[in-house]
Amino acid sequence: MPKPVIASVGASALGRTDLPGRDLFSVALAEAFDELPDPADLVEAVYVGNQSESYEHQIMYGTLLAEWAGLRHVPAERVEGCAAAGALALRHAVKDVRNGEHEAVLACGVEKMTAAGTSGATDALSAAFDRAIEQRSGITAPSQYALLAKRYLHETNATEHDLAEIAVKNHANAARNPRAQFPKEIDVATVLESDPIAPPLKLYDCAPVGDGAAAILVTTAELADDLDRPQVRVAGSGASANNIAVAERDMTDIAGARIAAETAYEEAGIDATDVDFAEVHDAFTVCEALLAEAAGFAPAGTGYQSYQSPAERADGWTDVQLSPSGGLKARGHPIGATGLLQALEAYEQLTGAAGDRAVEGAETALLLNEGGVADAVTVGHVLTTAEAP
Amino acid sequence: MTDGDLDAADPRTLPGFFDALADGELLGGVCADCGQVLLPPRPACYGCGSRAVDVEPRSREGQVFSYTEVHTPPPAFEADAPYTVAVVELADGGRLLGRVAADYADVAIGASVELTVHEPTAAEREVALDYETDWPVHIFEPR
Ligand SMILES: [Zn+2]
Repeated sequence: MPKPVIASVGASALGRTDLPGRDLFSVALAEAFDELPDPADLVEAVYVGNQSESYEHQIMYGTLLAEWAGLRHVPAERVEGCAAAGALALRHAVKDVRNGEHEAVLACGVEKMTAAGTSGATDALSAAFDRAIEQRSGITAPSQYALLAKRYLHETNATEHDLAEIAVKNHANAARNPRAQFPKEIDVATVLESDPIAPPLKLYDCAPVGDGAAAILVTTAELADDLDRPQVRVAGSGASANNIAVAERDMTDIAGARIAAETAYEEAGIDATDVDFAEVHDAFTVCEALLAEAAGFAPAGTGYQSYQSPAERADGWTDVQLSPSGGLKARGHPIGATGLLQALEAYEQLTGAAGDRAVEGAETALLLNEGGVADAVTVGHVLTTAEAP
Repeated sequence: MTDGDLDAADPRTLPGFFDALADGELLGGVCADCGQVLLPPRPACYGCGSRAVDVEPRSREGQVFSYTEVHTPPPAFEADAPYTVAVVELADGGRLLGRVAADYADVAIGASVELTVHEPTAAEREVALDYETDWPVHIFEPR
């Protein structure tokens, strides 16, 4: 079977931009193909992660972005899974290369969230929840995650102060990331004193609304060699859907994320202790705690220690570092692009292009990208520069 | 597969479920094979995959499992904010999300509540899809 690798990456600016979605994509694509032949000479298929047509009143994003890349008559489609759309697009590209169908596939993601204002984004995101019961009760993304956070603080020793420390850590990481939407350090008081959004979550517990696009070129290892590109092997990919309604799930054991991570580990022939760093879906601070446990990095009830150094954490923690990019919280969370921005960070880390935020000696990363509330759908990928076992 | 005759009177469909709820009856699915409670009822059990789902009236009483207060509502609910939302564990199994008719400060994990229903208000009808117009809206009252 061909070995899928990431051979190039690119992204637009993140945050409030003056470019529509397709133009954000053009910026990301230009970076990814800066040292490559034109897309028309390489790319055989396109997958586009995109959350919602309500921002730009535009579906058919597969067709549109293939055309804007100079491609025609290739298979192209939009992939939808709310905030997991990006990693789902990556997974499709990886599978196409692995099963020998294509040698080069473009996985990209785009979201123009600022087009509809804050209330438009709130409304668009609420479409991810069960319409019959949840949406009609007036639930929102922050309040869904607040239900998880309230329960997590009830069942564990974690406090609102710990959740604030997770935000502080991710902002400190973002301060060293030139791609970040919020490249600035903050302190715990700033988080704790920020506006209530859905208690116990406050404004600084929440990832921001923002625009952005990312483009990831997945190829066979042989083609990446021929193109003389630094390459990172996609050694494992797992995905799992859970109940759409958060009430019907275990709210502190994020089973879908656990299964997605374990599937990716198993394909890669590794376990959680082999992971040097992870980019996890910290749409809200509590997610990082829950996902550290689901990924097998932390014993149940101790994931909130993710901001601490390995020596300070509870027994049973691995020495993994979480979200060196700054995470969704501070790097940014343009919904459909987020899973690909996670892959971009891992590519830069593992090819020596992460500058002064580099995780020393890192060769293996886990990516966890979620859509809907928590594990309504989770996609996990293991990226590595280690030799195949 | 034996569900080819599902119609809108069947409580394993949303119209069937909400028709019963409008009469004050909360129907739940119960898997005949593994006992999983399914709220609302549906044709298949997510616990074990069985399609042997019995539909039965369930207790409307329960306890708050988790809760929060919505400060940044969707546009359709702006006039109501802030409002309290909870996940409630029902007395004979299963969990359901809904609004709570109490201030956030007066709710706690473990608090007793009872599910009530009301006809949709004019504002709720305005944001309803055509087929949802007459569906009742549920809300948990403190007990
Ligand atoms: Zn069952």
